[in-house]
Amino acid sequence: MKSLVLFCFIILCGGVVAQTNTDSISSKSMDEVIVTATRSPRLLSNIAIPASIISAKTLYQSGSLRLSDILAEQTGIAIIDNFGKGIQMQGLSSEYTLILLNGEPLIGRTGGVLDLSRITIKGIKKIEIIKGPSSSLYGSEAMGGVINIITDQPGIRKSDLNLRYGRFNTVDGSFDIARRIHKLDVQISSDYNRSEGYSLKPNAMQQTVEPFWRSTQQISMSLPIADKWKFGLTARHNNTYVDNTISVLNGGNTIVSKGFEKSNEYNINPFIRLTISPKISTTFRGYFTGFTAIQELSVKDALGGYDDQFKQQFNRIENQTDWHIRAQSNFIAGAGFIQENVRSNRYDSLSIKRENQIGYIFAQHEEKVTKKLTFIAGLRYDANKAYSSVLSPKTAFQYAYNEFISFNVSYGKGFKAPDFRQLYLNFTNVAAGSYSVFGASVAQDEVMRLSDLNSIDQTTSMLNTVSVLKPEVSGGFNAGVKVKFPHELNAQANFFRNDISNMIVTDVIAFKKSGGQIYTYFNLKQALTQGVELEASKRLRKSINIKVGYQYLYTADKQVLRTIKQGEVYQRSIENGAATRMTVSDYGGLPYRSKHSANIKFNYENKSGFFTTIRLIYRGRWGTNDVDGNGLINREDEFANGYMQANSSIGYSASKHWDIMLGVDNIFNYKDLLFLPGNPGRAGYINFQLHF
Amino acid sequence: MRALKISFIVLASVLFFMSCQKNETPLVIDSVRTDTIFELVADTIIGLSNGQPVGAGKFTFFSIETNSVISDADSNSTKWDIGVRGTTIITNSGNSGPGFGGAFVYNGTFGELTSISADSVFRVDNAPTAYAIPTGSNKGWYVYDFPTNLINPIPGRVLVIRTANGNYAKVEIYSYYRGGTPSANVPDDEKLARQRFYTFGYTYQSDGSKVF
Repeated sequence: MKSLVLFCFIILCGGVVAQTNTDSISSKSMDEVIVTATRSPRLLSNIAIPASIISAKTLYQSGSLRLSDILAEQTGIAIIDNFGKGIQMQGLSSEYTLILLNGEPLIGRTGGVLDLSRITIKGIKKIEIIKGPSSSLYGSEAMGGVINIITDQPGIRKSDLNLRYGRFNTVDGSFDIARRIHKLDVQISSDYNRSEGYSLKPNAMQQTVEPFWRSTQQISMSLPIADKWKFGLTARHNNTYVDNTISVLNGGNTIVSKGFEKSNEYNINPFIRLTISPKISTTFRGYFTGFTAIQELSVKDALGGYDDQFKQQFNRIENQTDWHIRAQSNFIAGAGFIQENVRSNRYDSLSIKRENQIGYIFAQHEEKVTKKLTFIAGLRYDANKAYSSVLSPKTAFQYAYNEFISFNVSYGKGFKAPDFRQLYLNFTNVAAGSYSVFGASVAQDEVMRLSDLNSIDQTTSMLNTVSVLKPEVSGGFNAGVKVKFPHELNAQANFFRNDISNMIVTDVIAFKKSGGQIYTYFNLKQALTQGVELEASKRLRKSINIKVGYQYLYTADKQVLRTIKQGEVYQRSIENGAATRMTVSDYGGLPYRSKHSANIKFNYENKSGFFTTIRLIYRGRWGTNDVDGNGLINREDEFANGYMQANSSIGYSASKHWDIMLGVDNIFNYKDLLFLPGNPGRAGYINFQLHF
Repeated sequence: MRALKISFIVLASVLFFMSCQKNETPLVIDSVRTDTIFELVADTIIGLSNGQPVGAGKFTFFSIETNSVISDADSNSTKWDIGVRGTTIITNSGNSGPGFGGAFVYNGTFGELTSISADSVFRVDNAPTAYAIPTGSNKGWYVYDFPTNLINPIPGRVLVIRTANGNYAKVEIYSYYRGGTPSANVPDDEKLARQRFYTFGYTYQSDGSKVF
């Protein structure tokens, strides 16, 4: 692995040496339009905030099916398989990263994780990635960054059909049709994906991944009304279904439960845009989304069973006004109202609706102060009904030293609102020690109720400190440099640091007479994540593109760091079981974080319609769980092994009517039953695309 | 001759010095003994009751003084020093036994605890509400991790034991599982089947002093 890291450095350093050579530079590859960074279209190279774009071509050529597949190949992003495939960016986990679909937030998280395998790559025009806090524009969850999935928009006439078959009887079929009917632009797309699943453990009673299917339908339309008005609508529906077979050994008998898990999601997103003058436009947007997840299990010859239902709705209306003051001076302002609710038998009964309402305003100004210096300043205020309100500022500077070198510095606040689970959960695990977890807003009442039933053995001092949860907040600093070298070599480096406080963790508030513990949520933890991201790309002879990326990441719980320094933390030796005092260098940081991660991507493409890609993705070892009783990641056996995954594809565009692609993912067939259950090993596929 | 005399004196004093050291060392070895006990059974799980895993409900009694397991028949004697049942550890004290036992939990490493400070307070058992070694996760010697459903001894906790006969010992628990703590991802039934096996190291001072 060290050689890969070295390779990245050589590329970067080698480039710096060659910098004095001022040949003509093509900056076209960098000049893509990005909207997520500022909520308005900007050239990617002019943005003062760490940002990148994955194009439709990259999505197709990498043979990805789901959003999790393609994001796993990006520098500084890891996909963590825990309650679904969640993103980790700048060392922050899925619950702190906002996932947008055409600028509107996706809902339906389990344990804070938004499962990215729910989202198909089909019908996506591009993916925009913003790193660092962006709550000044987007509010809650935008702490580690924002991923914005931009779907195909109506306008270009096309009729595409895509069919793919791969290992584990994985079938994916999709179509995408766009037409103009009089003045109305319409685009319809649909995707169906199914797989038999797989088993990583031979002769196991249940598969590692059970058979599943998923489907997505989408319709988008836009219509200019008169000169100044434009109307648009996107509606999307997504279904998933997974077979469930769960075998549990109980007193020597195997109990098999059978059932299913399904989810249903809809998003409706109308907008009206009014162009008041060439300089001012205003957009009214509505967003109505709902997510339902149901899991049902039943045991043969047994009464009852397991039934878990979760229904979430999120509705919002928003207005945003863009004022293009002069060439390099832009102002936007907006306000919106959100109404969200959840009903779930995880909390109490399905008939009780838990609600929150949020009102917010935001404004941002972008100004090119001098020829070389641009700054952005933004502010957002979220007033919440269910918890305290939050103010999120952000400021960013870009200094273009010359046309080849530019520097970016930004600082912003991010926040994540306490979710319904943390407020209202009511969960008791009968199987494992009979522990209970209650949401902070209901915990004291539940302990009182159990106390009245004479089920409480004793309470802890923490019970009195249970209070209304506050949002988790962060301050994020980013500083970077971008360099355009001669001969189509580009390099960039970005340092980041996020300081998170008020982090929500569970703690024990009482003990039951049965021995089980009762937990609730507290704003207790402070953490930090910091690191450096390096990226370089080089084009050779117009047809070969090489990209390398590397991220160094350091994470820590600040309280743990303090107690280690005070000599109050111990660890247990693997060899003889004896405890020793821990040092800061023994501490492995927050779980699921890899200190080193890297990638190299080769792409060859010629004029006769042939392409091939090879992508090597390295993820260094990461902490999984405590083994030695100190609750921390420190020992060798508390880490999962690092690994390299190689994916490759080869494709040919036979005519303007059809394309063929063959690919193999995970060529080295790397598998890890314990820590990578979502990785099936080597898998080949064949893909046809037809254009009418 | 003079040189011979001097060398004789030197040799004699060296021998005397060495013999003194030799005489001292066995004294220490005689009164302090360090040993490791592997996988002492502590009421292993035999079934479920109301969905809760349960054992037969019996303590395993252990004598630190004689380094041996004591039979149930002697439970009401001073032959044993500690008893284990699930995560509960009793001492031969209070209402647990007739002995002059007791204990407290020391925070630090086993090696650092070279002597028990004079002002240390030994607690005695008052079952079932208060034991000399507190029961419950993160209160005494172990921590229960609810996402992984595993029980681990907390590193840096040393059990300072007063034996039934009033001598002192220090105990460090290494593991609660047969074959060491299982990986977090093994099935719950395997975790249950392997738990309640104590592996621990101890040092016993038989001369009644508080120095190890």
